[in-house]
Amino acid sequence: MKPKKMFIIFLFLMIVVVPVAGSWAEDGEGSVGLLDDDGKEDFDTFFEEESGYDPLESMNRVFFQVNDKLYFWVLKPVNRVYSTVVPIDLRQCFGNFFDNIAAPVHVINNLLQGKFTDATIDFSRFLINSTVGVLGLGDPALRSFGLEPKPEDFGQTLGVWGLGEGPYLCLPLIGPLTVRDSFGFAGDAVTHPVTYVSSTYLDSTAYYSADKLNLLSLNPDLYEEMKRYSLDPYVSMRQVYLEYRRNKVLDKKVENNIINDL
Amino acid sequence: MLLRNLKKIIMMKYIYALLALLVCSFWSDPSALALGGPTEQLRPTLNVVIDILLDPSLKGSEYKVERRTKIMGHVTQVFDFREMSKRVVGREWKALSPEKQDNFQKIFTKLLENAYIGKLENYSGQEIQYIGERLKDDRAIVSTQIENNGQLIPVDYVMIKEGARWMVYDINIEGVSLVRNYMEQFKSILRRDKFDGLVKLLEEKNRTFE
Repeated sequence: MKPKKMFIIFLFLMIVVVPVAGSWAEDGEGSVGLLDDDGKEDFDTFFEEESGYDPLESMNRVFFQVNDKLYFWVLKPVNRVYSTVVPIDLRQCFGNFFDNIAAPVHVINNLLQGKFTDATIDFSRFLINSTVGVLGLGDPALRSFGLEPKPEDFGQTLGVWGLGEGPYLCLPLIGPLTVRDSFGFAGDAVTHPVTYVSSTYLDSTAYYSADKLNLLSLNPDLYEEMKRYSLDPYVSMRQVYLEYRRNKVLDKKVENNIINDL
Repeated sequence: MLLRNLKKIIMMKYIYALLALLVCSFWSDPSALALGGPTEQLRPTLNVVIDILLDPSLKGSEYKVERRTKIMGHVTQVFDFREMSKRVVGREWKALSPEKQDNFQKIFTKLLENAYIGKLENYSGQEIQYIGERLKDDRAIVSTQIENNGQLIPVDYVMIKEGARWMVYDINIEGVSLVRNYMEQFKSILRRDKFDGLVKLLEEKNRTFE
């Protein structure tokens, strides 16, 4: 499918579905103000907060199992080979490369959220890393210029615009998402430079898989550890995903920097 | 001249003695300066834990029990496992008998020990950076960072003041709350299997670490 066509479908989704989606309650999104609840006598109201809207839980759990099997039967053995063949330094370089290529997505979404300074930083990072960093394999923008990446994706932009996160989804191959982030996912796919180089699904999928495989090879124990330490891995993963994404939307990092200045 | 110098020396000694006395009196009074703020209370404990983890005489699985007992001895000084247990169980906690509460605290602490000290045992001595702390009434968040595979991972300790002590009741890794994660998991288990079912599942989980 041509990017143009994808964009039209995406636009259609935005126009038709967003008004509906907008009416979803944003119950669970105030979770960051840890210090704002009322002390320990009130500890049960602290935890009254909605855990995330998961009306499709039974379907999601099936896909969670599917992904689990895929992980152990396919992903893990593939990653084992990949990690043995490619040394970690090189894999870190590939990680930089994938991040660098995604820079346009980050710049666009910073702009869409009105974060002009961050957009400039990401743009400078892209220029520096693509040239001095040899096609983005290195990260001299961070190491020599101290420019920290400010990644923003379209899911975050939609959140900043006030769209509710909608039902939680766990999709085969893709993993945890919310409906809002699935729009974000589509939006990022459209703005990602890979779609301009090649518009076949196969290429995009191959690129996406390589990116994710490389990411996994850098954090190999994450999933299994999560499984090992939890009594209900499905709920644990859902909670991690939702909290992580909510913090991203609210830019909790910014808050941390404020502490820094105190 | 000599006499004046002597007088001066005696005077100084007197002042030092007074100072020492003053310091000692603070020392013995737990609510006084000696304990300090949340970061000052957390840091020594984490340092000791790291020292134990790096201690070559305690390395290896044959010293696991000894090492963990030592670590937990220090950790319980600054981590409030009672408060954590209370929070993961939620509103049902108050209805439980004290024995059940104690038992739950014991097995939940064991799970955290298995999970997180188990994870820390791979620790290879990266420095913990203290980024800052935020205070609000009797609550505090101490923000730290730790490096792992070239990535900086933010770890926040959420603390509550109990008397003069600041106690950790939650850890947020990359902004994701540990206590809330378990609470969410336990919520559906409690609904389905009730409290006794949860205890059984926890005990089973703990056995998998042996």
